[in-house]
Amino acid sequence: MSAAAERLSRSRRSRATLQRGRLVPLWMLLLGAAVVAVIGGFPVVAGTDSYILLLLGKFLCYAIFALSIDLIWGFTGILSLGQAVYFGIGAYFVALSLKINYALDHPTRYGNKFPDFMEWNGLKALPHFMEPLVSTPFAVACALIVPTALAFIFGVITFKRHIYGVYCAVITLAESLILQEFIIEYQAYTGGFNGITDYSNYLGIPFLWFMLAVTIAFFLIARVLTHSRIGTVLKSIRDNDLRAQFMGYNVANYRIFVFCVSAFMSAAAGAMYAAWVGIISYLDTGPVFSVEGVIWTAVGGRATLIGPFLGAFLVKGLEFLLSGVLAAFWQLLVGLLFIFVVLVMPDGIVGSIAHWLRRHRKGTLTQLREEQDLLAHDREHDWQPAGVPRSGEESV
Amino acid sequence: MALLEVKGLTTRVSGYTILDNLDFSVEENELRVLLGPNGAGKTTLIAMITGQFRPTAGKIHFAGQDITGWSPDAIFLAGISRKFQVPNMYETLSVYDNVMVSLQSDRKVFKYMFKGVTAAEDERIWEILDFVELAGKASDPADTLAHGERQWLEMGMLIASNPKLLLLDEPTTGMTPDGKQRTAALIQKIARNHTVLLVEHDMHLVRQIARKVTVLHQGQVLAEGALDEVVSNKTVREVYLGKGKRH
Repeated sequence: MSAAAERLSRSRRSRATLQRGRLVPLWMLLLGAAVVAVIGGFPVVAGTDSYILLLLGKFLCYAIFALSIDLIWGFTGILSLGQAVYFGIGAYFVALSLKINYALDHPTRYGNKFPDFMEWNGLKALPHFMEPLVSTPFAVACALIVPTALAFIFGVITFKRHIYGVYCAVITLAESLILQEFIIEYQAYTGGFNGITDYSNYLGIPFLWFMLAVTIAFFLIARVLTHSRIGTVLKSIRDNDLRAQFMGYNVANYRIFVFCVSAFMSAAAGAMYAAWVGIISYLDTGPVFSVEGVIWTAVGGRATLIGPFLGAFLVKGLEFLLSGVLAAFWQLLVGLLFIFVVLVMPDGIVGSIAHWLRRHRKGTLTQLREEQDLLAHDREHDWQPAGVPRSGEESV
Repeated sequence: MALLEVKGLTTRVSGYTILDNLDFSVEENELRVLLGPNGAGKTTLIAMITGQFRPTAGKIHFAGQDITGWSPDAIFLAGISRKFQVPNMYETLSVYDNVMVSLQSDRKVFKYMFKGVTAAEDERIWEILDFVELAGKASDPADTLAHGERQWLEMGMLIASNPKLLLLDEPTTGMTPDGKQRTAALIQKIARNHTVLLVEHDMHLVRQIARKVTVLHQGQVLAEGALDEVVSNKTVREVYLGKGKRH
């Protein structure tokens, strides 16, 4: 093999593996370890009374929620303005269960051992269909399975009919509004406007570490999914679903699949959120929260895995720091930030950094030499002009 | 038995008859050129064959199976690949990934969940990239390619899917004359191992590579046969050079 051909095959191999890379590259491992250490170690250092502890837990839930949106939007191109539906259902199952259990040990003023909001609304006893929720493990299972099942049904109804894009976004928005209204309307069962509050929550260091472990697990699942071939298929569906369909992919099935995975993650985030924060309301199921999730993903960086994490922490962190000062303008600022990101940095913070790095890497000398080799090889390719007869046949 | 057989295919849309009781067939390992003025129904015929639309009447048989009314992904898996008139690929994916995603497989959702690319598949991808002269741009996103390169990338993607029948819809649109020549040579190379149905407008190109030619006009087969015969056919000359001259 000539020296040029050797260099060519070596650079090809490195190119091919560069495309895929390792499942967890070293920098990702180090960065992840650092973040986990900071989040996990902070309350140990600062003490459990800190308000920051509450925020850290909330932000982790938000980050998982944003990650679930990134999976369907950034990677597969499905814009859902109603992912909070799955977050909210997960949250309500757990909150109800915890509230029911709390009421059993802390009877109301009138001696009833069921949730106070049910008493205020005239219920005489815990509704029969809610009795199984006394078992918190059962409630957690419902919190995970019911939203995923709903997502599956939604997916079959919508994606099998090839409804996507703007129409899908509008339908999910409507879903979110419907659930919000449903919760407010049936306040005897859901707590209505006031939400569900006054139950024993799990605010504390062990649960924070548990949430951290769940976050890492979901991050890894998302990484495996997007790193493997199915991740590339999802991206191809995002880029050109017509071509993907005519290349043999059942686009509807892939969309349903990733939509269910996303709903599962949102539901888990909601379930942990309810257990951590100690209050849940219709706001956590509505379109505002859904759109917030989309904004965090956009700001952090779509089609990246760190992006949603960064976006949630950054935007929510800024809100915590600045909302005292800019209370009236905060929502406006978030809206402006979204517009800015869409117009100027459509790939978000992480995406723009990745772009800059890639461009910087291209300029190195070894890279240039590799390019020259490959181009030279292509030019060597011998061309037969059109009209040269096939072997054994007459020319046209 | 012909590889592809179309019988009595009719398509009516909003009162217009686009295909009118069309009978058409392609033998295995043929390189057939489909000619016809604009509006003759060439792209519609291809759309019908690939399942994009359902015909009003008629049947399409492929490799002995009746594929009328099948979904596009099922028809693909039966062995028909289509190249669109406008290059259609995955814009943000790299050239390598574009070909990789098109590699032949059964396309099931859970099959490739945790897998990457095997060494054999990697070899095949590089082989195809070589064939379409895009090996130097393997890691570039597809939207940075020039127009001719995009056409070739799409053809590379089709080859990767290992089809029995390739439907090429005007693959030289927008190319320089040099590009058209090279594309013609590429198509001839492809036609050695695949059955190819080529829709073309450029008569120079057609003269160079065509063996058997089918001319469509107003949704029906006007003439079929060797290029020289068809070109000297009176009705064909009228349609192309008389009232219906397009080029």
